[in-house]
Amino acid sequence: MTTRSLAVVSAGLREPSSTRMLADRLAQATAEALRERGDEAVVEVVELRVLGHDLVNNLISGFPAGELKGAVEAVSGADGLIAVTPVFQASYSGLFKTFFDVLDKDAIEDTPTLLGATGGTPRHSLAIDFAMRPLFAYLRAATQPTVVYAATEDWGSGELADRIGKAGRELAGTITGRVPAAKPDPFDEPVPFESLLFKE
Amino acid sequence: MMQFGIFSVGQVSTDPATGRVQSERDKIRMMVRMARRAEEVGLDVFATGEHHNPPFVPSSPTTLLGYIAAQTERLVLSTATTLITTNDPVKIAEDYAMLQHLAEGRVDLMMGRGNTAPVYPWFGKDIRDGLDLAIENYHLLHRLWREDVVDWKGQHRTPLQGFTATPRPLDGVPPFVWHGSIRSPEIAEQAAYYGDGFFHNNIFWPMEHVQRMVGLYRRRYEHYGHGAADQAIVGLGGQVYMRPKAEDAIREFRPYFDTSYVYANGPSLEETMKTTPLTVGTPEQVIERTLGFRDAIGDYQRQLFTLDLGLPEEQVMEQIDILGEEVVPVLRKEFAIGRPAHVPDAPTHGSLLAAAKAAGTEAEKKEEAAR
Repeated sequence: MTTRSLAVVSAGLREPSSTRMLADRLAQATAEALRERGDEAVVEVVELRVLGHDLVNNLISGFPAGELKGAVEAVSGADGLIAVTPVFQASYSGLFKTFFDVLDKDAIEDTPTLLGATGGTPRHSLAIDFAMRPLFAYLRAATQPTVVYAATEDWGSGELADRIGKAGRELAGTITGRVPAAKPDPFDEPVPFESLLFKE
Repeated sequence: MMQFGIFSVGQVSTDPATGRVQSERDKIRMMVRMARRAEEVGLDVFATGEHHNPPFVPSSPTTLLGYIAAQTERLVLSTATTLITTNDPVKIAEDYAMLQHLAEGRVDLMMGRGNTAPVYPWFGKDIRDGLDLAIENYHLLHRLWREDVVDWKGQHRTPLQGFTATPRPLDGVPPFVWHGSIRSPEIAEQAAYYGDGFFHNNIFWPMEHVQRMVGLYRRRYEHYGHGAADQAIVGLGGQVYMRPKAEDAIREFRPYFDTSYVYANGPSLEETMKTTPLTVGTPEQVIERTLGFRDAIGDYQRQLFTLDLGLPEEQVMEQIDILGEEVVPVLRKEFAIGRPAHVPDAPTHGSLLAAAKAAGTEAEKKEEAAR
């Protein structure tokens, strides 16, 4: 049995939040699927709402402080990532984007990632494909083919539950099948100076 | 001996209390007076920034430092930083060798990339080459100070054929060089490769980050055979504002913090004091905080403070007085306690000259023995 760390980023703002609810259900489905494969999931939820002030501070000071520091570390080192945002003005929310703006650019490189979004109308369901996917492509995350969008009307339907189950199984499969890429730490393994000095 | 001093970016500022805008002349003269006062109160080093855009004044560091050299006797004159990216290394070699002669060896300098993207093209460069420029230019500079005749070809300037930089360094000893970098491991590696000093600005950054940079430099210094890791030459920055009562210091400093081009609208003064080395309080608090730097990065060689973040001249002068009279004497005493004998002092022209002579005598002896 292997323990897999699962970071769950939720940009929901209300209490209770449908974004958080979707994030939790995706995490639960993934954890179950991991268990079926004989692995155990350790889930860490990052609620961006409480990190709002720290995020703006990070933009100005250049480093994460307070609880944000732990959140950045949790996401950067995770075996899998679930990222869920409400759709604002046809895209991810500014809070959601700000969190990914302050990560190192290679923080989630190659990390199996499941994308989700919530909205008041099904008309925004493509925001995941048109807005979120390019962002995670830039960050070189291993974004899963299945994404989950939940509009208000979806919460009563069995289809949403099916889709959540499918997305969780897919993410679990990618996490268990993955050999994490070695990320050399430039402080532990510096580039020798000769190769900087005499490079062609 | 550790060295203590002050460094200034040389920013013209508007006093948030009075709305008074400082003139460039005021700021330039103020920097001279800061340096003189630093010497008067027993500090060791004055370092100036180099900037080529308003609201900063020190575009011509050797002019400023040459003028200060003529008015001081003991103070070491340095930079924070010299732009190794956009300056021609040939001109740096000559300017600072000239300054070395005039200042009787009281000169060292700190290399930095500095600069924002728009500055590079003013000097015919491109910020995307920043790291390459820092590496190539310094390699040439290092040779120009050590070889009388240089043939050279690189990517970023015209080749040199049989070139001699003049004047030659004072007593044949190049000025000591520090490399300053906030977050580039490549620069810590560069400093280690040459056995030069490494300086971390320290201010604005959490100590864990500074530790990683200094730790890398120390390990690589040993790797390149210059000595043990704890013998590497390390300098740190710091930022302080002091009053006999901590609450007075906080109250007086806050308007400057809240309008600072670095700090404004970000984390509060209180949060910033927790997460970065900024210390606003009593001299005792500054002493305690600064002694803590040693716990984080080991025994080190140079501690510089920045004091003039928009503050009016009278207040900056008072801060220099407090540093010299109340803080640094205690720091000298406390830092000396438990400092292992094999940890070197901060290099000076005198110590480098003595080392060069010793190495020369050693070589002569070997030659003689061989005969």
